[in-house]
Amino acid sequence: MNCRDMNHALIGRSMASPLPSEAEDHLRTCARCRLLAGALRLPVAEARPSPASLRRIETGIAAGLRPVHPMGSKNCLLAAFVATFIATVALSVYRMGAFAIAVMTPLQTSLTLGSLAVGTGLLAYSLVNQMVPGSRHRISPRLLPLGAAISLVIVIAVLFHFQHERNFWAKSWACIRAGMPIGALAAVPLWFVLRRGTILWPTMTGAATGLLAGLAGATALEIHCPNLEACHILVGHLGVAALGAVTGLLIGVAAERGLPGRRLNDSDY
Amino acid sequence: MRSGLQENSVAQRSFVDLDHWMERYQQADPAAPATLIAALSPALLCFFRSQQANREHADDLLQDTWLRIHRVRHTYRPGEPVLPWVYAIARRAGVDGYRKTRRIAAHEIAVEALPARFAQSEPPNGLPAFEDLVAALPEAQQEVITMLKVGGLSLEEVARATSSTVGAVKQKAHRAYERLRKLLHTYAEDNVAGGAP
Ligand SMILES: [Zn+2]
Ligand SMILES: [Zn+2]
Repeated sequence: MNCRDMNHALIGRSMASPLPSEAEDHLRTCARCRLLAGALRLPVAEARPSPASLRRIETGIAAGLRPVHPMGSKNCLLAAFVATFIATVALSVYRMGAFAIAVMTPLQTSLTLGSLAVGTGLLAYSLVNQMVPGSRHRISPRLLPLGAAISLVIVIAVLFHFQHERNFWAKSWACIRAGMPIGALAAVPLWFVLRRGTILWPTMTGAATGLLAGLAGATALEIHCPNLEACHILVGHLGVAALGAVTGLLIGVAAERGLPGRRLNDSDY
Repeated sequence: MRSGLQENSVAQRSFVDLDHWMERYQQADPAAPATLIAALSPALLCFFRSQQANREHADDLLQDTWLRIHRVRHTYRPGEPVLPWVYAIARRAGVDGYRKTRRIAAHEIAVEALPARFAQSEPPNGLPAFEDLVAALPEAQQEVITMLKVGGLSLEEVARATSSTVGAVKQKAHRAYERLRKLLHTYAEDNVAGGAP
């Protein structure tokens, strides 16, 4: 056993519980680890809240104590996010037409829409977990929006050809303008679902929500727009998702700045 | 899934069925808040006091945390572990408190000046106090080590409380131990050179 293995033996272990015998052997020969293990085994100074402080908290809570219903199940919340996404995309495609489906190859259709669906599902699941403090995250919620965006860029870049296109910016801007209202439309019900939970980190949740709403716009454009030039899709379609994420992030930053750091009054409970 | 407070957590020695009392709290049982406050507050206070930047305001932060807990008590899901839920809320309260007091500069100075601080608060066995050791770590590592040792949370629970993954928490704890090992070694060498016990 080396010092690195010793870390693993110490991490996540109750300080009172005995170490494995190999770890004890290492401690006998390694002064550095002996110091570390000794320091970690030291008792922490007891902290006792003042009785007055505890009474104040208890009285405040008791005064405003009412039964509350626990939030809906995670599956219900996930279903609400996914239903919002699908309904928004379906409504938009119904209005605009599904012209892209006719011109894309089956491989392009399945992989593009499949990766959009996977990204959407992962973001929705992450948002459900962000609504409940202390939820388990299998993928870091900070990295997921970035990871999803990069994956989509790679899929588009691999599946579609890059060609020089006349009026590239005008065409891309037309698609962004068509996609942004779809994103905004999706954002409203998403926000209504989100406010049922508690958002501890508005910047992180804002970016993920904005990206999810933007992906609704991007998905509708992917089904609608028959322009298969890779740059056009990246800028004109995925640009809607990127703008959604940035908007959500900025709203989150604004909300975070407005979050109260406050002293307690009895009337707060 | 563990549902109570472990014996190794610092401020609590008795086992309290937190899940059960959280459910009673949601049902407005008048005994529930007092039980939860008594069971969780010492460790929460310890958690805030272990954070260099929040040490002086730990009492205010404890009250703020309970205010937040009370407001969002509907977001606790029966059957889920209570500690990560509570510490996730406490962590947010701590960050807001930290920002409010804007003590970043003071924190950096304190870290630079650690050997002197060690010597001041050294317990009889010749090692620096846990609070001073933790203060030498970057914030993210401080948080993980404090939750593990002071709060008595498991790796999985720390990951939940910090909206992170178990792998990321392990990595932070690993880096924290590496840093502590170096600091303790330097401290011991200095003590030998200076003739300290
Ligand atoms: Zn070693
Ligand atoms: Zn287009």
